[in-house]
Amino acid sequence: MIAGLVQILVFQGLGEIVAKFFLPLIPGPVIGLVLLLAWLQVRGSVPASVDLVATAFAQNLGLLFIPAAVGVVMFWPSIRSHAVAVVAALLVSVVATMAVTGLVLRALAGDEPE
Amino acid sequence: MSPQIPAIHEIWVYLSGSPLLALVLTLAAYQAGLMVYERFDRNPLANPVAIAILIVATAITVIDMPYAKYFEGAQFVHFLLGTATVALAVPIYKGLGALRGRILPLLAALLAGGATSIASAVGIAKLMGADKAIVGGFWAKSVTAPIAMGVAERIEVSPTLTAVFAVTTGILGAILVRSVMNAAGVKAWWQRGFAVGVAAHGIGTSRAFSVHPEAGTYASLGMGLHGVLGAVLIPLAVRYLA
Repeated sequence: MIAGLVQILVFQGLGEIVAKFFLPLIPGPVIGLVLLLAWLQVRGSVPASVDLVATAFAQNLGLLFIPAAVGVVMFWPSIRSHAVAVVAALLVSVVATMAVTGLVLRALAGDEPE
Repeated sequence: MSPQIPAIHEIWVYLSGSPLLALVLTLAAYQAGLMVYERFDRNPLANPVAIAILIVATAITVIDMPYAKYFEGAQFVHFLLGTATVALAVPIYKGLGALRGRILPLLAALLAGGATSIASAVGIAKLMGADKAIVGGFWAKSVTAPIAMGVAERIEVSPTLTAVFAVTTGILGAILVRSVMNAAGVKAWWQRGFAVGVAAHGIGTSRAFSVHPEAGTYASLGMGLHGVLGAVLIPLAVRYLA
């Protein structure tokens, strides 16, 4: 468990360094993700300890963005006064995104089932 | 007289000065959200994160705790977001096998879907007169929340609004995916799964897994690829288009 966490933290640190000095537009953790992904590819398998930590994070990912999301209380007046725009944008966008993604796949790959 | 039992407000003052209160509140609210979610057979409408956000937001309003104060305590949870983002490499790695032979259609669909997500949400919000902060929150809302919030910081929009819009998008996507895919005539499980993963990230992905394992695998791949490509392309798009 700790060994896995250490490895992931090392990649996070590497990602932050690369972001800071070379790729300031990309979030450090995403660079860390890509570096870890590359390392897993080279290695050819996921170390059990890393797998354990990654699974624990994946199962409770939602918990981690609660603190930031609660900040919505500060935006509440603004959201309420633009409620119709917010709802319309969210609703239309998710429907359009799913439809376009699905239709492009269908157009390019056909209806072949697995 | 001694040992003196402290008055309740003294205990309160002591507790609210330490990170413990915010931490317990956050974890307990999440736990409550998970219990409700299980109770409703994992119905996307009973999303545990949305429930937890509501509980915490209500609680800090009722006890009159400023958000900054709450965050000071809850930041220990928040800090792990970056680590969890790096750990997403593992599910992505495991899903890469599903790319084989389908990489071109999947990438084309992802780019089309990602562009549609931004153009429609940002476009509609702007046209309908939403203020700048709100419009900014729509840029990364189809990207999985931990990455979306990192992107929000880079493009200097509110990570909070981005996270809230991302969670709402996930819930809506999970609810609507079946009707939208049926209406569009998309039948193959891998195509339906990938579409919901691209549009509605983690929440859409867990919905896909509950319907069909192949849909789930491709949803997870869609979410992962959208996360990585979104983190690279969205800041560029904002720089050159916005």
